[in-house]
Amino acid sequence: MSSGALTRRLLRPIALTVLLAAIPAHGADRSLEYAVKATFLYKFASFVEWPQGSFARESSPFNLCVVGPDPFAGRIQEAVSGQNVGRHPIVLRQLARAERQSDCHVMFISGSANQSVAEALEAVSGTATLTVTDSAIGPTAGIMHFVIVDDRVSFDIDNAAAARNRLVISSKLLALGRRVNVARPGNEP
Amino acid sequence: MTIAARARGPRRFKPAYALTAAIALLAAGIAISAYQDRIFRAQQVREVTVQGEILAASVTAALVFGDAKTVQEHVSALQINPEIEAAGVYGDKKAIVASFVRPGQEPLPRTAPDRSIAVRGRRSMILVPVTQDRAPLGTVYIRTIDEPLSRRLTRHAAVMLLAVMAAVLMAFMGTSQRTLREANRQLEARALALAETNSLLQNEMEERSKAEDALRQSQKMEAVGHLSGGIAHDFNNLLAIIQGNLHLLKTLGGDDPSAMRTYVDGAGEAVDRAGHLVRRLLAFSRRQPLSPRSVDLGELATGMKDLIVQSVGGRVRIEWELNATGKTLCDVNQMENVILNLAINARDAMPDGGTLTIETKDCFVPVGDLGGEVTPGEYIGLYVRDTGTGMTDDVRKRAVDPFFTTKPHGQGTGLGLSMAFGFIRQSDGYLNIETTPGKGTTIAILLRRHCAAESREAV
Repeated sequence: MSSGALTRRLLRPIALTVLLAAIPAHGADRSLEYAVKATFLYKFASFVEWPQGSFARESSPFNLCVVGPDPFAGRIQEAVSGQNVGRHPIVLRQLARAERQSDCHVMFISGSANQSVAEALEAVSGTATLTVTDSAIGPTAGIMHFVIVDDRVSFDIDNAAAARNRLVISSKLLALGRRVNVARPGNEP
Repeated sequence: MTIAARARGPRRFKPAYALTAAIALLAAGIAISAYQDRIFRAQQVREVTVQGEILAASVTAALVFGDAKTVQEHVSALQINPEIEAAGVYGDKKAIVASFVRPGQEPLPRTAPDRSIAVRGRRSMILVPVTQDRAPLGTVYIRTIDEPLSRRLTRHAAVMLLAVMAAVLMAFMGTSQRTLREANRQLEARALALAETNSLLQNEMEERSKAEDALRQSQKMEAVGHLSGGIAHDFNNLLAIIQGNLHLLKTLGGDDPSAMRTYVDGAGEAVDRAGHLVRRLLAFSRRQPLSPRSVDLGELATGMKDLIVQSVGGRVRIEWELNATGKTLCDVNQMENVILNLAINARDAMPDGGTLTIETKDCFVPVGDLGGEVTPGEYIGLYVRDTGTGMTDDVRKRAVDPFFTTKPHGQGTGLGLSMAFGFIRQSDGYLNIETTPGKGTTIAILLRRHCAAESREAV
């Protein structure tokens, strides 16, 4: 943990901006922005460790869920097709509500009238789910929270929330977060 | 000869060996340096490779999420290592993401190179793949600096310095060996010269010894001549007696048988005496080894009475005190010579006449007597005493030295006492000189008493 903390301290100043070259986030070109976000969704998986028992078998699918309205318009399907997380094939699921039994490894929450973002987060709190929210939708943040910095897609990381969900986020990924909330609340500057 | 032969043996050290050894040392030094250089470079490559691997591991997330700025930060961190000249990270499309190059150095290739590309100079190129979950994400590229000559030399300075020092030492040893050999050669020459001188000296000594022998012999002959000169007169007298008797026989004794016998007896007696004299002379001059016999010194002296009386002449009175009862073991002829010589010496010491005493007696030397020089036991003593001039202390000390004489030139050989001394010592006896200047001299001779004398004599 200390090495992770060290890395974080060293790299935080630079991690304030994370970007993908030539991805402008102007309203006119939001499609490209969401294509990047769609890619990020499954790429996070490489830097996150799920607790034991999250996968029934080695070949069990990796469930990537979108709760509420889908802002990606099929780009996730494009991004994940043929991709694996380890040996687990990625399966995309669309859900109306987040439930405790949803069994999602990564859950993008867009929020709806049926279930707000906060309610959805509350629903899966404590389960091994990497929750992802988007600042373009609202300020309520899950573990990963997409933000736009200098016209580039970046993210904040709530590592305390990840710890509550028994997830371990690689320090490499933490180093890239714009803002990182550490596991113990109060330590965050 | 042997010294020289040994010095030219096969184990001699030649300067050429030193030169060869020095060159070998230098070559070894260069080889060691080259080997060290290889090891150094291999280690350098290993170290830089490890740094490349660390970089590759650090930039995976940044590469995945396209964070070029973070990648650049990681790459720039490598500038701390002065061994690295340039470094960069290429993405999965082989496009360069981040890099740094030290000022003045060749820029990085635009696209990710493969291992077949050669680098100039003594640089090394290190390529490390960047992977995440075994999926290739890109490549880390690191190029080491071309180490300046001065730095390389500094690295090898210690070894080269050692090699050069060793070489110089070898060369120095070679030269000093040469000097040493030169010195050795001179020593050999000197030893040879010395040996030559030595052999010359030995030859000379042999020559001298021969000359001395010849001289001694001639001295002896001279003594014989001297003696016979003294005796010739007697011999003439004897001849005169014979001639006289024969003349009387011829002219007067023809008719008178008793007168005739008287003349013939007179002649015969003279002939006997002459024969006796001749035998003495022969015995004196004969060269013969010692043949010791059991001898009664008294009898011997008695037998020499005529000879001694003839030798010492009329001005010297002779007293005989022959009291010895035992016998001794010695060469008779030599003993006679000794007695005769001593008598003649005594006569010469008394030019104005005096008394010569010849004495024999039995002696017993107890332990510690005569200064402990004489082995204790029973002896027969022979004393020849004169009332002559005596000797000074100086003369007495040298009296038994060969060729030492106080007599005028042509009269003394200087061998008489010397020969007597030598003979007595040879016969296991002692000769002592007691003398007082102006009063006279006594020569005392001690010879061991011979106990088995009678039985030997009987044979």
